[in-house]
Amino acid sequence: MAPAGALVLGILAYPVAWEIWASLTDFSSRAEGGPVFVGLANYGRLLGDTWFWKALATTLGYLAVTTTAKLVLGVGMALLLARPSRLRALVFLAVFLPWAYPGGITVIAWYWMLNPPLITSYSVFMGNVKHAVDGVLGAGAWAFLSVMLFNVWRGGSFTAVFLLAGLNAIPTELFEYARLESRSAWQRFRAVTLPLLAPYMALAVFLSFTTAFADLGNVWMLTGGRIIFPVVGTYAYWLAVKSGQLAEAATWTLALVPLLALGLVVLFRWFDPHEETPA
Amino acid sequence: MVIEKRWKTWVFFYIPLAVFVVGTLFPFYWMLITAIRPDAELYRSWRAATNTPFWTLQPTLEHFRDLMAKTTFPRWLWNTFFIAVASTLISLFCGLLAGYALARLRFPMAGTLGTSIFVTYLVPPTLLFIPLADIIRNFQLGNTPWALILTYPTFLIPFCTWLLMGYFKTIPKELEECARIDGATRFGAMTRIIFPIAVPGILSAGIFAFTLSWNEFIYALVFLSSPERKTVPVGVVSELIRGDIYFWGQLMAGALLGSIPVALVYSFFVEYYVTGLTGSVKG
Amino acid sequence: MAQVMMKDLNKKYDEVHAVKDVNLHIRDKEFVVLVGPSGCGKSTTLRMVAGLEEITSGEITIGDRIVNDLPPKDRDIAMVFQNYALYPHMTVYDNMAFGLKMRKFPKPEIQKRVQDAAEILGIQELLKRKPRQLSGGQRQRVAVGRAIVRHPQVFLFDEPLSNLDAKLRVQMRVELKRLHDRLETTAVYVTHDQVEAMTLGDRVVVMKDGWIQQVGEPLDLYSRPANKFVAGFIGSPAMNFIDVSLSDAGGLWAEGQGLRVKVAPAHATRLSAYKGQKVTLGLRPEDLRVASGGDPAEYTIDAVVDVVEPLGSEILLDLRAGQTTLVARVEPAVRAKVHETIKFALVPDRARFFDTKTELAI
Repeated sequence: MAPAGALVLGILAYPVAWEIWASLTDFSSRAEGGPVFVGLANYGRLLGDTWFWKALATTLGYLAVTTTAKLVLGVGMALLLARPSRLRALVFLAVFLPWAYPGGITVIAWYWMLNPPLITSYSVFMGNVKHAVDGVLGAGAWAFLSVMLFNVWRGGSFTAVFLLAGLNAIPTELFEYARLESRSAWQRFRAVTLPLLAPYMALAVFLSFTTAFADLGNVWMLTGGRIIFPVVGTYAYWLAVKSGQLAEAATWTLALVPLLALGLVVLFRWFDPHEETPA
Repeated sequence: MVIEKRWKTWVFFYIPLAVFVVGTLFPFYWMLITAIRPDAELYRSWRAATNTPFWTLQPTLEHFRDLMAKTTFPRWLWNTFFIAVASTLISLFCGLLAGYALARLRFPMAGTLGTSIFVTYLVPPTLLFIPLADIIRNFQLGNTPWALILTYPTFLIPFCTWLLMGYFKTIPKELEECARIDGATRFGAMTRIIFPIAVPGILSAGIFAFTLSWNEFIYALVFLSSPERKTVPVGVVSELIRGDIYFWGQLMAGALLGSIPVALVYSFFVEYYVTGLTGSVKG
Repeated sequence: MAQVMMKDLNKKYDEVHAVKDVNLHIRDKEFVVLVGPSGCGKSTTLRMVAGLEEITSGEITIGDRIVNDLPPKDRDIAMVFQNYALYPHMTVYDNMAFGLKMRKFPKPEIQKRVQDAAEILGIQELLKRKPRQLSGGQRQRVAVGRAIVRHPQVFLFDEPLSNLDAKLRVQMRVELKRLHDRLETTAVYVTHDQVEAMTLGDRVVVMKDGWIQQVGEPLDLYSRPANKFVAGFIGSPAMNFIDVSLSDAGGLWAEGQGLRVKVAPAHATRLSAYKGQKVTLGLRPEDLRVASGGDPAEYTIDAVVDVVEPLGSEILLDLRAGQTTLVARVEPAVRAKVHETIKFALVPDRARFFDTKTELAI
């Protein structure tokens, strides 16, 4: 059994170690000769790079908006889903489909819906919307908004399912007792449901963080490969794949780690997996 | 159910539910309409009197025919299926053993190991992407299905392990002890008693792994280059968009067809999936 | 069928010493009950016999084999768990047949044994069902049936009745006893319920904090407890304890906490060594009865009734006497009112005395 555990760790430890090593060299798939150790030079350059700070700000904004939206939607939907009804099967399908459907494909459908690139029957209409939004928020805003919409659409329903599992884990007696003690549904929600759901919400937030980081494919597609609003992950990918600057790409990616670690620490104060007592 | 006024039920339950369902499913409806809309209608002017953006009067299967005849779509389907099944099986196998070990065996660091596996699941795949690309290049696996079959488990195994570990914890350990007294070895008790009971958990982990592999886009885009080796998500996107020309009808037809297996798997196993998820979270 | 011997048995977890120097000889065909409060080491001891816990030091023998290093499957034992541990994915029949299948018994033999066991337990009708379709009592029977089909050398029971409701528990208790009389298989039974222990056991082992406190036949434990713990643990309501000191004033007198009674001549010789020292006097609730005119005054206690608990066949009276509280078990005919003062007579020969420091019986 233990070898299996070691395998799991090895699978993850090796790439991380590789990445750290790469970020300390000038590794590039296009350079002649082997990589040369350069110490922390990559990090130094990164910190001086305004493009990086812009990407970071965009990433954080993107995270904050989508995560909040997903959480609010998710809680609402979970509460609705918790109620038994005859339409439950249909609703569950609606919840699972966006998430189960290949993201690479649905993103095209969204692209087609929101930014029709050809003269189609409704391009004029969507074009007007785009110009209106870009006019207010600056060029590329509509595209970026599309990315967020897409991420919320795809992730919101998963958050709902996740929180539903959390709701189901709360003993019903607690809700029943709350009915005896509180006057309004809103009171009950704030005093009982929300605090009990908090650990699951923390976990959902973290999952949303990581998927949002990972959603570079979505951004890539929706903005048609043009980077107007850079997101850290997207740019790293672009560096690695399009220009072969693996060392720089590794540096960009690793720059996310402190952020993630911070998120983890904050959220784990809420949700502690150590709580499980060994049998 | 709790007694409630009827208008309240509508305002706080049915209407939000309807808005949600329509909002979620609308993109799929749009895909479907695009896929069966004749080209002439697709490119008709917004102001044309006959414009019907939300439905079509002359549904056609032309795009589906083109997809089958003019592209290697059936081939993509097979590739995706093969890759998804293989990587799911590998991940499930490792996840079962590792999950069981972490849930049951008391060895030093078991707790820490469990937590770190959970944490690694949360590590963004971006972090793993670049080194994996390097490994694939070194082993010259590029443009073969093995490139994906071996890389997908990097994110599938931690998830399967975590989910199954949670599920195993919900199974009383007495069942296993009883089996061992009844004459089974530890391994026998695991395979004859624990695994059969864990079927809902195993299924949901399997479904999850299968879906993720089927849908995976980035690795498939980078590691596979020849058209006949591609998977559905990549094939549809890269072969049906040529430069600035989008074959919208075929694209949407491919999107619909290519995801039928996943949709089917889900509709069959939704209940199992939900119990699996709930069980593991409770554990 | 076999004897079970435990020699200097110890179990240590990281920091907890769960079982301490347990020595126990369970004879062939005997029904032995391990009883004690939770955390006393009784379950751990049983699980070491089963082979589910490793032995830290000491030796366990089943039959004439030392089983320390044998895996559970080779010890030829069967176990019934508190939560039944029925395999949820198998029918009742398959649950009962599993152990025999694992041991590669021929099919007709398996069928016969399962049928026989089902008949003994009255569960023939249930063989095709799955465990979740059964009631608690039925599950319990299946769990027992699964153990008896194997014809093991030793039965191990780990609190098998704890999950049943009170009525069913009494019924199953009787059935288990009948079953043991019929099968005559050595049985080790763990429970925290002293009534179960007393009714089922040929001998009862009382444990506390990992130590064996006393081993004996049920009535022996009741009438001659080895120490204060056993005296208080066995019997319900529990024995009354009064801290007294002994003095000599025309015979031996026990005095303390506002009470003063004479020590029966039968105890006087043994207790004379404790003259002037503190001892604990133990009185069983049924050894206190409402005094009549003829009772000698030196064996009576005045007490105020605090609570009256009429149980039908008897009445329990919670009393205040001196600075202590007592419980008396009296005839249902007694009409006691709250706050009333009543004179109680005690049965002098049945009083118990314990060394206050060591808590050992004197």
